[in-house]
Amino acid sequence: MFKAKLKEAVICFGAGRVTLKYPFEPSPVPPKFRGKIEFDARKCIACGGCANVCPPRCIVIEDMGEVAKITFNLDRCIQCARCYEVCPEKAIWPTDEFETATPDKSDLKSEMIVWMSTCQRCGRCFETDNAIDKFESKRWRGRGPGEANKHGIFPIKPPIDFSMPGSLVREPEEGQGQ
Amino acid sequence: MSPETLQKKFLRGLTEQFPDILGKLQEHVPGQLIAVLPREELPKVTKYAVNQLGARFVITVATDQRDKTGDFGISYILAFDEEKQFLVLHSNLPADDPRIESVTPEVPAANWAEREAYDMVGIVPEGHPDPRRLVLPDDFPAGIHPLRKEYQYNTRFPSEPQNAPPRMPPPEGSTVVPIGPFYPTLEEPAYFRLFLDGERVVGSDYRGFYNHRAVEKLGDSELNYNQVPFVAQQICGICGQVHSCAYVEAVERACEIEVPMRAKYIRTILLELERIHSHLLWVGLAGHIIAFDTVLMQLWRIREPVMWLMERVTGNRKHYSSNLVGGVRFDITPEAADDIRRVLAKVEEEFKAVVDAVLIDTSLMARLKDVGILTEENARALGAVGPTARGSNVAIDCRVDHPYAAYDQLDVQKQVQDGCDCWARTLVRLYEVFESIRLVRKALDQMPGGPIMAKIDGPLPADRIALCSVEAARGESHHYVRTGEDNRPYRWRLRAPTYPNLQAVGCMIQGVNLADVPICIGSYDPCFSCTERVETLDVNTNEIRVYTREELQELSRRKTLG
Repeated sequence: MFKAKLKEAVICFGAGRVTLKYPFEPSPVPPKFRGKIEFDARKCIACGGCANVCPPRCIVIEDMGEVAKITFNLDRCIQCARCYEVCPEKAIWPTDEFETATPDKSDLKSEMIVWMSTCQRCGRCFETDNAIDKFESKRWRGRGPGEANKHGIFPIKPPIDFSMPGSLVREPEEGQGQ
Repeated sequence: MSPETLQKKFLRGLTEQFPDILGKLQEHVPGQLIAVLPREELPKVTKYAVNQLGARFVITVATDQRDKTGDFGISYILAFDEEKQFLVLHSNLPADDPRIESVTPEVPAANWAEREAYDMVGIVPEGHPDPRRLVLPDDFPAGIHPLRKEYQYNTRFPSEPQNAPPRMPPPEGSTVVPIGPFYPTLEEPAYFRLFLDGERVVGSDYRGFYNHRAVEKLGDSELNYNQVPFVAQQICGICGQVHSCAYVEAVERACEIEVPMRAKYIRTILLELERIHSHLLWVGLAGHIIAFDTVLMQLWRIREPVMWLMERVTGNRKHYSSNLVGGVRFDITPEAADDIRRVLAKVEEEFKAVVDAVLIDTSLMARLKDVGILTEENARALGAVGPTARGSNVAIDCRVDHPYAAYDQLDVQKQVQDGCDCWARTLVRLYEVFESIRLVRKALDQMPGGPIMAKIDGPLPADRIALCSVEAARGESHHYVRTGEDNRPYRWRLRAPTYPNLQAVGCMIQGVNLADVPICIGSYDPCFSCTERVETLDVNTNEIRVYTREELQELSRRKTLG
């Protein structure tokens, strides 16, 4: 008993100071760290690859004729950096920023409007290598304002209310990518 | 069926009793047999396999397949651990009459699984001894089974508070002591009602699933194959790699995707590092539960460098986002491998010092030895997994029994203790940390070069079934995937290790003193998940206010929906 307590005391005294001085001192992040997403509207071609793979669907695209509006709801972001991985132009990337706490969620929402034109280099759309990622996901792209993610995870419109008796009606697949 | 499978002992036993079954067995994935049986026969085969042939009941999978074949499907998954075999017994039930005879009276491990199949899909287990509501919220409308395909993931149902399941009546003369709905030491939601005779526990009742997040529904209706791993990794704050790995491995097995060896090794290394930090966390928490906070402080200090290591390798200390169908996203560079070796050397040295002290600490032993007995017989009957089972002399470990990732090349040693008490479960975990350190080193030495992601050319084939069990720190995490057409699983079923272990708690705490209940419940490393109702104290007026269910629901909706 006494021996065990002695050993435990040695461990405790040998530990020294282990707490960090953060937030009074900056806390550096490791090289591969995936923080808040940053993007560059000048590089983006609005192919929608990022929105298609985004697991929490925090990126959605709305095509509006000459322009495409891309919305980033970063309060939903899980920092997986899949968007960075599939982006052909590397127009989106994770930064070192992790202090994203805010009392207002709208601080984390950004929008980007991109002028659309045919690719000058190859004249066609971008394709990923991975067959799974090529396949289009649901509701990340819509034609016209408010059409993407119409009844989706974050309520641009409220979720469907349940009406009795349970009818076998499925949600129409409107607003899906072309 | 492969010739090796035909030689297996359980198959001879099964065909002796049920000669017809041989023609119905199919083996698409090595080690996984599937049989489609009529519904009268399925319970008989299940009971016989479990009670006579020593199979372990894993889980049931209820599927709404009315859009394909016009009926419901139910699969009972059994494991023959010694023979490295899974057996899926499947039955199709007519849509207007989805009933099946319950096996719970003879196979107690199936209790929750059958109740969940009723709650979620509406398959009635006839003759179930305790058919109360299990998974759905207290106020969920009756007769609605949310995993049926007609309901969307975001359908909002009307509240019907009268549907709350009845509580188990306490035995004559006993006092009821509630623990929960917010479990005090683990900071997670679970609600135990203990029936006490003086200080002794004479019975218990459990209500949980307060934080059911409907991930299965999302997986088979919204997300695509490569989005599911990111939801799977958030099922648990600790076993993220375990769940995403089990899911992707099941898809890969179903679709016969050849994963590069290096990717398998990287998965293995991350899984073992995860086990190391999880066990260190648990031993610390166990100390905390019995008010020995030195253990908590020191073990969490030792654990922290492992978390930094994960951050170094994958980018984040939790939610590594490492797995995709076909491989992994982040390579382990030679420098990172050196870091892992260096950190593990330090962790091993420091942890050894702690173990040396803890193993002779009589004050710790006094609280853990002969407390929370789970006999070998009960552990088997209730389907306990992981260190809970291995502490009761049940030698099951998926890394050996159902190898995944690169474990078939690593020669894992099972850590088994026969004490059947909290101390035995502690010892299993202490020794497993050393074993994991050895495995990481061996994997780093053996890891071949090459690509880390398989090339996937076309859409994944539909309607294939595969299973994958991954040994998490807490026990076996089981994932079932049936592939679908539109680039997402048709059915994704998962069973976390706490699911069977929690069912064994009632047995474990029978007869212990009230003061020992927290460590008994803590000893199987439970992982519940957020709160049900809150009481707030206004510090200015000293006024206590209890929020009603409606107020809380409104508050949390406002919070989550923005």
